[in-house]
Amino acid sequence: MLVNTTLADTSNGLLLSAVVLYALAMLCYAGDLAFARHRVMAGFATARVGQAAAVPELVGAGAGAPVAPGPAASAGDESAGAVSAGDGGIDAPPASRWPSGGWLRLGFGLTCVGAGVHVAAILTRGLAEDRVPWGNMYEFIGAFTCMAVLVLIAAAAFYRAYYMGLFVLLPVVLALGIDLTWIYTPAGSLVPALQSYWIAIHVTAMIVAIGLFLFGAVVTTLYLLADRSQRRLAAGQPSWSAGIWERLPRPEILDRLSYRSVLFGFPVWTFGVMAGAIWADHAWGRYWGWDPKETWSFITWVVYAMFLHARATAGWRGRRAAWIHLAGFACLMFNVIGVNLFITGLHSYAGMS
Amino acid sequence: MTGLPADGEFREAAPDVARPAGIATAEAPASTGDAGGPGRGTGRPMAARLGPLGWLRWAWRQLTSMRTALILLFLLALASVPGSVLPQEGIDPAAVTQYYQSHPSLAPILNHLSLFSVFAAPWFAAIYLLLFASLAGCVLPRTFRLVGSARQKPPRAPSNLRRLPASASYVTDLAPAAALQKASTLLGGRRFRLSEGDGWVSAEKGYLREVGNLLFHIALLALLISVGLGGIWGYKANRLLIVGQGFANTPTALDVFHPGRLVSPSDLQPFAINLLNFRAEYETSGPELDQPITYDAGLSYTSQPGARTQHYMLKVNHPLVVDSVSVYLIGHGYAPVFKVTDGTGKVRWDGPVPFIPVDQTTLTSEGVIKVPDAEPYQLGFAGVFLPTEVDSGNQLQSAFPAALNPRVSLVAFKGNLGMNSGVPQSVYTLDTKGLSQLPIAARPLAAGQSMKLPDGAGTITYLGYQQWVSLAITYDPGQLPALVSGFTALAGLILSFLVRRRRVFVRAIAAPDGSTEVLVGGLARSDAAGGFETEFAELARQLRAEHDGRQMQATQVGDGTVDETEDPDERERGRLPVPAGSAATVASANADTAPAANPEVLTSREGE
Repeated sequence: MLVNTTLADTSNGLLLSAVVLYALAMLCYAGDLAFARHRVMAGFATARVGQAAAVPELVGAGAGAPVAPGPAASAGDESAGAVSAGDGGIDAPPASRWPSGGWLRLGFGLTCVGAGVHVAAILTRGLAEDRVPWGNMYEFIGAFTCMAVLVLIAAAAFYRAYYMGLFVLLPVVLALGIDLTWIYTPAGSLVPALQSYWIAIHVTAMIVAIGLFLFGAVVTTLYLLADRSQRRLAAGQPSWSAGIWERLPRPEILDRLSYRSVLFGFPVWTFGVMAGAIWADHAWGRYWGWDPKETWSFITWVVYAMFLHARATAGWRGRRAAWIHLAGFACLMFNVIGVNLFITGLHSYAGMS
Repeated sequence: MTGLPADGEFREAAPDVARPAGIATAEAPASTGDAGGPGRGTGRPMAARLGPLGWLRWAWRQLTSMRTALILLFLLALASVPGSVLPQEGIDPAAVTQYYQSHPSLAPILNHLSLFSVFAAPWFAAIYLLLFASLAGCVLPRTFRLVGSARQKPPRAPSNLRRLPASASYVTDLAPAAALQKASTLLGGRRFRLSEGDGWVSAEKGYLREVGNLLFHIALLALLISVGLGGIWGYKANRLLIVGQGFANTPTALDVFHPGRLVSPSDLQPFAINLLNFRAEYETSGPELDQPITYDAGLSYTSQPGARTQHYMLKVNHPLVVDSVSVYLIGHGYAPVFKVTDGTGKVRWDGPVPFIPVDQTTLTSEGVIKVPDAEPYQLGFAGVFLPTEVDSGNQLQSAFPAALNPRVSLVAFKGNLGMNSGVPQSVYTLDTKGLSQLPIAARPLAAGQSMKLPDGAGTITYLGYQQWVSLAITYDPGQLPALVSGFTALAGLILSFLVRRRRVFVRAIAAPDGSTEVLVGGLARSDAAGGFETEFAELARQLRAEHDGRQMQATQVGDGTVDETEDPDERERGRLPVPAGSAATVASANADTAPAANPEVLTSREGE
């Protein structure tokens, strides 16, 4: 089958541009963390204001009437302090959906443009090859990193998680860099085993799930670091990273955000595995055969299920559950990369020989 | 305690009853979390006082505890790892043989531990059976409880609604009873389940969350059973078929036959298949040179003897389904055609011999020809088939998978093939123990060329080639149940993640000036979609409009949801949002007076 090489080259150029845009966006996010002091905890410390704004009708008439005890009323009580420290929840409809501060605006703008260019790179690749553009490892990494950036944008739009920008783009830029240099595979056609409409269903579901899980793993890592810093400070020990965390929401909110990413990602992953099983039944005559890729997607599923269970078990919530979360992501990454490179199986489509 | 994630139910305890200290009071020292709690499933057995029944109950409680489920899940994941790292008998037996050769001392030990058939190993079965027992032990009681709670009413409203995560209050001119009546109508109209009492209304919604949760876990049990069905009544088989040949679906005609436990030969569906032609197409240029583009196998088949002959173009990803048996194209190769004449001048072999590809990109293939009837010596040949032979010095090399320049290189043997020894032999390997190699140069033969053997042993002629396909034949009655179970599990999962279980309480208190103060309180569990605060605000707004209220005040903590946990102590340790207002109030309250905001309303029942 003929490949449109002009379009394929365009795709390569676009993907490179996306990486550059993401890198610039990271600089802006870093600048925001470093310089935007006036905005420390904006949207979090002020969450109460945000909430009040969210229910204006409820507040309006009651001015002057007794108000719920604010932070001052419960001064000295630790647990109340934790509450009043602006637990806007990640749902708290913010005063403004838009990022505040020039650095953050620029960073987020560059992220959105970068994501647009990234999507264009994937589309042109698909047009060049006249097929679904996720048929080998190079294309797959390009696709799920794109999904992770889209998740980041969605999290910013819905939960105002702009603060995640730097931390999500870091692994994305690294992965794309590796993808473009070592894993690059020229545009081409699909082997017969992949010529099925199931590739559009199964692999797409996996890409969406991995994008969500990648985002969740980054949030969880931040949660663990922030939690550690908080505990060190509470114990009177120094914490070099405390300056970063005071610009981020409290660990509890990070924890909830990461939990949500799994609540979204887990059913998608489940669906992806099931779609894979149906496809395997069409292609290989059995819906489950413990092929290494199948085995590791099962392991990944089990570990993420453990995370969901752990989060509902006393004594396991918080840090322990977060570690299980990261273990699940490690299994996922091994499945995406390790199984492709080190283990031979029916899923050896990486195009890396 | 249960083995289910997410939440169970809200505890249904009536408010304002005395509770153990440490649950409701802020002053109580934070307990260690795990140790206390009646019936948490981790309780230490009191060995001296436990009878056999007590031990059984203790063991069952241990098995069905969430912690055990977690450990079993972990073991299941861990146990799967060797199955992906070591070669598996059920997936690639040749790789296992190879492993034996490369690790002669380690392999028998691994084999003893079933590490070459992990997923059929007894210890693997032990893990998943225990896990599913644990699951069943959790799911079934909870299902009964859910059914039981179908007619159950929400608990009475806590006395101080201001301490709930979300609350609002306003003043209305309606009498308390009338205000409550209107609140009931409004909440009932929104399909809340209601219970009413003196001065209060409780409303609850979102029972589908637990339904989804249970559905998911029950569907997983069904999935396991479906897989088992396939292992009992299904079968798997393989058949190599050369173009022009056919076979009937009987055990003897199949090369490999793995019947389920209860499958007898007469159970096989009596279809017959002929391979009419086969075509493979490859990339001839570009970076993906040699990569296959398409495989087409033209079949004719009859679903049973005497039935009408039908045709089917079999492709990868396009199995033939006949009589609910699926036939798949899983491999292909070349079968060079030979004619062997022995020393007496008699033709002892004339036909194709399937060669097995040893290099998938160029389809360089190897095979053997055995001629046991040859006289005066039995003859054997080991051959290499090169679809597109290229000259590369002494090396036998194929440059392309299609047969553009097919050649066969042969090594000839004479002597005893060992076929009468009683030991079954593979048709693809030559046992050279009783054979001696004939001194003849292994010159690759083109179609029509012959090789005359020394010592008057005979002649072999390479006549051309045929192609063969390898078919996988599977019958799995558990397939459809597995599919249904899978999608039911997914639906249950999504349901349990999306639906929010929430309660809304309304209290109406007559004020001395003749007006009525209406308090609205609400709480929900945290969930994926969130948004309870929006729903609550909207409800409060509607209630106020209904009551024509004024002087509205509202407070909310977080998003008005409560993180699922089964440990009420967590609340005191500050991990959970404490209802607004309670911090100040509770801190000053005496434990004996039992603060009205009942934390038990918030906590799940999983501790029981």
